Amino acid sequence: MSIFEYNGSALVAMVGKNCFAIASDRRLGVQLQTIATDFQRISKIHDRLFLGLSGLATDAQTLYQRLVFRHKLYQLREERDMKPETFASLVSAILYEKRFGPYFCQPVIAGLGDEDKPFICTMDSIGAKELAKDFVVAGTASESLYGACESMFKENMEPEELFETVSQALLASVDRDCLSGWGGHVYVVTPTEVKERILKGRMD
Amino acid sequence: MTKQQANWSPYDNNGGSCVAIAGADYCVIAADTRMSTGYNILTRDYSKICKLADKCVMASSGFQADVRALQKQLAARHLIYQHQHNKQMSCPAMAQLLSNTLYYKRFFPYYSFNVLGGLDNEGKGCVFTYDAVGSYEKVGYSSQGSGSTLIMPFLDNQLKSPSPLLLPAQDAVTPLVEAEAIDLVKTVFASASERDIYTVRRQTRTCYHKCSWYPPGIHGT
Repeated sequence: MSIFEYNGSALVAMVGKNCFAIASDRRLGVQLQTIATDFQRISKIHDRLFLGLSGLATDAQTLYQRLVFRHKLYQLREERDMKPETFASLVSAILYEKRFGPYFCQPVIAGLGDEDKPFICTMDSIGAKELAKDFVVAGTASESLYGACESMFKENMEPEELFETVSQALLASVDRDCLSGWGGHVYVVTPTEVKERILKGRMD
Repeated sequence: MTKQQANWSPYDNNGGSCVAIAGADYCVIAADTRMSTGYNILTRDYSKICKLADKCVMASSGFQADVRALQKQLAARHLIYQHQHNKQMSCPAMAQLLSNTLYYKRFFPYYSFNVLGGLDNEGKGCVFTYDAVGSYEKVGYSSQGSGSTLIMPFLDNQLKSPSPLLLPAQDAVTPLVEAEAIDLVKTVFASASERDIYTVRRQTRTCYHKCSWYPPGIHGT
């Protein structure tokens, strides 16, 4: 079994009209055994920037701690929050530092940039950025997520419709993957508010 | 000294995806038309669908040489059946034959991922899905091949089939009408082709309908 499939994960971020959604499953496993059903894969960096980390959970936690540290330093020096594009470059650089002994994570970054323009990107475990205009996916359920998102995505969705689309795509995809599931965590972020919702799906 | 390993494989994967959907009185079977090897395209115009019997059609992805051999084998056995029983094989009968034929080569398998579709003796749609060594199941819908992981979740979400957990057990066929199912098949190939390099949007598609069954034809999109 690949090291990326040790804990199991599903992550998706989608762009809407002046908003974005980022969603994950809630399972933490050790190969076949489920250890936790309330695992947080998505973390807030600041009010308009969220980071999801799929892959090996220990590396995800360490990477998150390092990134929060770096962002706090940035806030002290620059007296402002990091732009999503800048943060993505930071994550990419930190991952590439470990080029020959990498973190076994695939991050998904989603944020609102200048003029409330939504920004999403993902990268591989050594920092190769992939910017997308519509959606990005990561985790053991990534192939299923590609299929579901590609079929369900529409441009310029309002926050409520975006939430429905992301939720349906996530639940349909994790139901075909043994290593992810046990519900979902969805964040829908607009310039004015952040709505966090928990989905109940098939609990297996 | 480590044992020398063979670096020649008898198998190759020619890629592609197949889908079949069964309804109350129809069955749709489709497969894309690309045949590839590695990162190269061998042909853009290959039909992965084969008519095995009057009301039974098989779509197969995987290694097309093995698929071709399998189709020949099944055609021969079907001919013998017709001589002995003076009738065509029904879809469930062909399903069992395919399973046995695949398991016969359990220790040097046909690298063929099959989906069988057609109408049963009552005119209801039926779809059977297989692995390479003959494990099979009657289902309401299925997909196989390189795009199957992309296609299946979307079919789960859209076909509104009854849950297999309900008691008493309900038939897995979809409540959708044929036109909706065909539309779904077109959508599914459009989406899969966006993200899977081995699958293209263009498909060969066969529809069986209880009332007026269409002779299998090639429908492009």
